[in-house]
Amino acid sequence: MATYLIKRLLAIIPIVLFAIFLMFILIRLSPVDPAEAYLAAANIHPTEGLLAEKRQEFGLDQSLIVQYFQTVKNIVQLDFGNSYVTNTPVWQEVAARMPATIQLALSSILLAVIVSVPLGFLSAVYKNSLIDHFSRLLSYLGASIPQFWLGYILIFFFAVKLDLFPVEGRGTWQHFVLPSVTLSMALIAIYTRLLRASVLEELEEVYVLYARTRGIKEKAIMVKHVLRIAISPMLTGLGMNLGKLLTGTIIVEQVFSWPGFGRFFIEAIFNRDIPVIQSYVVLAACLFIVCNLIVDIVQLYLDPRISWKGRTEY
Amino acid sequence: MHKFKSKKSILLASITSIFLVLTGCTNNETASTSNESTEESANSITLSWPRDIGSLNPHVYNPSQLLTQSMVYEPLVSYEDGGEIQPHLAESWSISEDGLEYTFKLREGVKFTDGSPFNAEIVKKNFDAVLKNKSSHSWLGVINVLEEIKVVDEMTFKMILSEPYYPAIQDLALVRPVRFLGESGFPEDGDTSKGITEPVGTGPWVLEDYKKDEYATFARNPDYWGESPELEKVTIKIIPDAETRVLAFEKGELDLIYGEGAISMDSFNYLKETGDYQTASSNPVGTRTLLLNSTNEKLADLNVRLALQHGFDKAAMVEGITLGLEEKADNILSTNFPYTDIEVEPVDYNTEKAAAYLDEAGWKLPSGKTVREKEGQPLELEIMYDKTDPIQKAMSETLQAEWSAIGVKLNIKGEELTTQIERRKAGKFDVDFWYNYGAPYDPHSFINVVAEKGWGVSEAHSNLPMKAELDQQVQEALASTDETKRKELYGSILTTLQEQSVFVPISYIKKTVVYQNDVKEFIFPANRDEQPFNEIEKASN
Repeated sequence: MATYLIKRLLAIIPIVLFAIFLMFILIRLSPVDPAEAYLAAANIHPTEGLLAEKRQEFGLDQSLIVQYFQTVKNIVQLDFGNSYVTNTPVWQEVAARMPATIQLALSSILLAVIVSVPLGFLSAVYKNSLIDHFSRLLSYLGASIPQFWLGYILIFFFAVKLDLFPVEGRGTWQHFVLPSVTLSMALIAIYTRLLRASVLEELEEVYVLYARTRGIKEKAIMVKHVLRIAISPMLTGLGMNLGKLLTGTIIVEQVFSWPGFGRFFIEAIFNRDIPVIQSYVVLAACLFIVCNLIVDIVQLYLDPRISWKGRTEY
Repeated sequence: MHKFKSKKSILLASITSIFLVLTGCTNNETASTSNESTEESANSITLSWPRDIGSLNPHVYNPSQLLTQSMVYEPLVSYEDGGEIQPHLAESWSISEDGLEYTFKLREGVKFTDGSPFNAEIVKKNFDAVLKNKSSHSWLGVINVLEEIKVVDEMTFKMILSEPYYPAIQDLALVRPVRFLGESGFPEDGDTSKGITEPVGTGPWVLEDYKKDEYATFARNPDYWGESPELEKVTIKIIPDAETRVLAFEKGELDLIYGEGAISMDSFNYLKETGDYQTASSNPVGTRTLLLNSTNEKLADLNVRLALQHGFDKAAMVEGITLGLEEKADNILSTNFPYTDIEVEPVDYNTEKAAAYLDEAGWKLPSGKTVREKEGQPLELEIMYDKTDPIQKAMSETLQAEWSAIGVKLNIKGEELTTQIERRKAGKFDVDFWYNYGAPYDPHSFINVVAEKGWGVSEAHSNLPMKAELDQQVQEALASTDETKRKELYGSILTTLQEQSVFVPISYIKKTVVYQNDVKEFIFPANRDEQPFNEIEKASN
């Protein structure tokens, strides 16, 4: 197991390096000059001298190759530099905003689990019943409604019209409700269907039939046996989506004025704040890799049929 | 079975910990529903702002916001309606005959919020801090010619310039960088460009509470030297999304939506039409113009430029696209700026006249074709617009349709804003959108870019036969210390530009504001960057 873990952890290095490379290229492909974007955001009329000074300050006057190796060197040392706009270390900016984003992501996952487990399970057990149709409708909606639009609609009905929740901001549990619902809708859509499908699959298994013939209560069969096994693919999906969820908060944070990292990232894109964009890409890449790794380990634990040996070859 | 139990407990433990994280990080306040802000204090207002207010450092730009900087810090002179410069922290001033020495007498009895007095020493200290970082302020005329600040006595100081520059006084009215930080706000080495220790100003507002990216609350300065504001408190909520701002306003969480571009034209009109709210728009703060590049050989001909100007229905376009929020412009600079009140004959919408001008320029319409030609070349032009700006896009499309009727083929190209600026500077465009800077920068910043190369505007004019003369007049106007002469020069420069049609004025841009019915006395500040809170009142219910 230790070798497996080490191998997997070592694999992070080339992937992150590749992510840095891609990001470096993509940022430079943009025709926008960060020095000019900086001055524009500061309401300063850019002069040639000012632009040259800013470019030098940002290290953009050097050749691309030098810039690239400098970037890699800094990131490897976990030095993301200072934000062009705020002139404070990117780490500090990220650390200040991360808790808000993580809270939102966790509350959304929690909500998604609370809703999709019973819903998915029931719609499989009572296939083609009213609850199954309802869950299907909910899944269609959840999968097809764009998040920003859903956010506005929820604000309009539940905050403006019904006055149940605040429109935006953060501070109380009420502030969590609308953004979490918005963010979890897509997850609910996926997990409900995922769980339903895998419960249906398990119901076909011989052990269910056997358990029934043994006279075990239907309820016990369902909860203790079927659900326990059927929930495994959902856990995998959840883990894999954790990274996606954190990056997915970008739009929701914008709509609900949630003071998290996603919003900061959007502003960084508009301002061509390269150090912030870089840190985001690297963090997101690491997050995805680590989440996948955790999921793999959890799966090994849950399902002994997947062997360490077999996994290491993958 | 044993294994199963432990798994279960892991699941239970993780769910509990998630709960703990969630609940632990939230406090036990009750939800802020619509009543909250009104109950809190009857004499306060809440407004939205798209970005965090930043560090409240008077001498730096990003990420500090002009709005909040102007609440805490004050200028020597203030910019009032019509471009009039009024005494503010300076009680009076005199300018030496050669225009190089400005002597300011400071206002007595002004105190910073740390209790320290406002005097010539602290003025010098602030100027020195700004000059220490001169290159980052080089966009501002007065900083480039500022040689030194001399303390004469406690309440008098002299500003020495290296060359005469009449808008020096106007530049001192800006929100940044020449405003004054109190002694205790300075870092040890006096270099404010790296940060200040606390926001200590003389202004009518004091920062009371602040949470990054969430809100900032300002309280009335109890020791303010001037007339005290009516409101006790101003809360600025940071809401980056324009639609969310409107929803929060409709719910009553906001009293006011203010700021350039803070609300879309659609939303503004929607809120206006409900009849439930107050709306207003300001005097023109700038002009939306087309820039016809005279270095393009087709546009080098004045007849072609005039034809294009006659060839579209400006009034209908402005009304239709801006939904009445902008006003059709005949002058390149609106007449509420100093020296801009010149006689201008509006260019009417007249396609026959346009066709006649094009015929005269040699661009004829071959039979069976829709695009005019000259020596086998079609009259084809390209307009570039900022692709994130729906108004520029709609106007480009309108011009395309309108000009095709007079036999001009217009291609439209959406660009990233910075690419647009880049292309303009390189002169690689036929037709472009351009805006002047507005109060308090104009008209001097405007004529400066007409003469000074590097912005693309002077270059676009470079094929005018009188360009050299025009540049000369601009230099004279900027250096002139004689009011009558300056006025004359401005008149001549603006008239020439108007006649030459490189700038085609389209519409006057206005600021908008939406506020709840209990908000009274909202007055737009003359300086477009200045805060508007001093006069606002709130009706008690």
